[in-house]
Amino acid sequence: MSQKSLVDLFITFVGRNWQRILWLTGEHLLISLIAVGITVAVCVPLGIYLTRNERAAPYVIGLANVFQTVPSLALLGFLIFVLGIGNDNAICALFLYAMLPVLQNTYTGIRGVPKSYVQAARGMGMTDFQILMKVQFPLALPVLVAGIRVAMVWTIGTATLASAIGGGGLGRLIFSGLSSIRNEIILAGAIPATLLALAADWLLKRAQEYFNPSARAKRLAKRHGMSAETESNSAA
Amino acid sequence: MSTERIASGDGVVFTDVCKIYPDGTRAVDMLNLDIRRGELVSLIGPSGCGKTTTLKMINRLEEPTSGSIVVGGEDVRSSDAVALRRRIGYVVQEIALFPHLTVAENINVVPELLGWSAAKMRGRADELLEMAGLAPERYRYRLPDQLSGGQKQRIGVLRALAADPQVILMDEPFGALDPISRETLQNELVSLQKNLRKTIVFVTHDMDEAIRISDRIAILRKGRVEQIGTPEEIQTAPGNDFIRNFIGEDRLSQMSPDDSVGMLLEEPWAVAAPSESASAVLERMEENDREFIHVVDPKRGVWLGAALLGRVRRAAVAGKSVVESLSRDRKLYLEDAVLRDVAEMLADRDISIPVLDSGERLLGVITSAGLARLAMNRLRGNRTARAAGEKKEGTR
Repeated sequence: MSQKSLVDLFITFVGRNWQRILWLTGEHLLISLIAVGITVAVCVPLGIYLTRNERAAPYVIGLANVFQTVPSLALLGFLIFVLGIGNDNAICALFLYAMLPVLQNTYTGIRGVPKSYVQAARGMGMTDFQILMKVQFPLALPVLVAGIRVAMVWTIGTATLASAIGGGGLGRLIFSGLSSIRNEIILAGAIPATLLALAADWLLKRAQEYFNPSARAKRLAKRHGMSAETESNSAA
Repeated sequence: MSTERIASGDGVVFTDVCKIYPDGTRAVDMLNLDIRRGELVSLIGPSGCGKTTTLKMINRLEEPTSGSIVVGGEDVRSSDAVALRRRIGYVVQEIALFPHLTVAENINVVPELLGWSAAKMRGRADELLEMAGLAPERYRYRLPDQLSGGQKQRIGVLRALAADPQVILMDEPFGALDPISRETLQNELVSLQKNLRKTIVFVTHDMDEAIRISDRIAILRKGRVEQIGTPEEIQTAPGNDFIRNFIGEDRLSQMSPDDSVGMLLEEPWAVAAPSESASAVLERMEENDREFIHVVDPKRGVWLGAALLGRVRRAAVAGKSVVESLSRDRKLYLEDAVLRDVAEMLADRDISIPVLDSGERLLGVITSAGLARLAMNRLRGNRTARAAGEKKEGTR
């Protein structure tokens, strides 16, 4: 099979199946977003909890590390015994798989906030919750978003395996291409999955920058029409 | 200078305070300290003397093991810690301006916690920035990272002032600054304090700083107050060798000829009223073997002059009042007299010198014995300090 004919075949396949590809891309994205959404909803509070209960931290993070270390396909296989086949199983597996970076970054991000800020905040009369919301969380946010970014990219990649256990997403195309030895179908699944991962990475990188404290102040300064003044660091 | 201020109860009062850590360390040991309202008191001492712990017990960042601490008439242990801290300004060494907040937001941390309106907070931030000589329109939206070290700590001080607390705690606030900004900020604090009259507890390890800014200095050692007094008292009369060593040789020997004579004042022991007859005064002088006597108006304490034995005798022979025998050319005014004047006058004629205030009232006298005692103290202080220094040299 020559290079040219592969391209031709690919174009023909996409031309005939673009609706299905689009739909599967949407499904892939949805599965990934749900999985990461659950991960964030569970692991951010858990990570914060661990900063207040340091003794439990090594165990919980160790457990997340175990899930992370189990090969993803194997993890999906194991979960068939628990949840059967289908998207639920896939989402659950992806959640377990994505736990580590979010949990770890929340924990280290919050712990990484210098003690002097926490001490100053407490000395000025903030309650523990106010210290968390007004000082620790905003300062840990870039690290936290970095963790979500890693989790998101991993999840989009791993979600291609979901179809192996009866789930949806772009994995369907890849696996059917593999079984029928039709490279154009593999590409029709692999290319959107790659683009999806790259797009998510780019987007979350922007988010990471957006949540940077200095970016916020620059926005504030710009809104008040004094950008030039703020840019120049005239620390005399 | 502080005698007429309202006494205890209104400031910060420590009574028999102990702080024992779980490992048995006695950080603070039966500490008693009475900081009056409107007074700036420095806590100073070698590391591990308990000065920072003492400070942190005031806003309950540390809890005392026993004893009581009263702030503004209220025992800190019976007040809610969070509410207490919002009533007390707090400046830390690390500066710790929140890097994700602008200058204005940093200043308004406590007002925000207290639920002030946005307009009120904005006005307060601008007002404080102006007070510190930072143009609000330029600095309001800056980030801490865009400020110099000195500017940052200026904002740190403004942050403590924002909600207008009566008591402010400062934990080595200028310790991380370069010497020039440190001195600038010290001077700013002094002039600020002149207007605001806050009760400030200031922890430092820098004796020069303590001397420059404090109304009183408390020297701590092993969790106790070793000595407390005005900078002048501490320098002229260090209580023991530890304090003498701690203050340091150079500061003790800094006793220069241009120092004020205030520390040498003694009670005038021979005083007569102008209405007395010369013969009565003469009798008293001869009885006590005095060569001279100061004549003071008993109503207002105004010094009328000194009468020397010879002239009193002559006036007595002539049957006149003691007023006739007065001479007024030998005297000093407290505001402008320095040690050099005292030494020169005593060398010229070895009799005590009257010291007057601007209203001609007699404040006390200076004798050659007093000057000699002061010089002896200095010399002894220098020798012990030097001996300690040599010992240190030797071990190196």
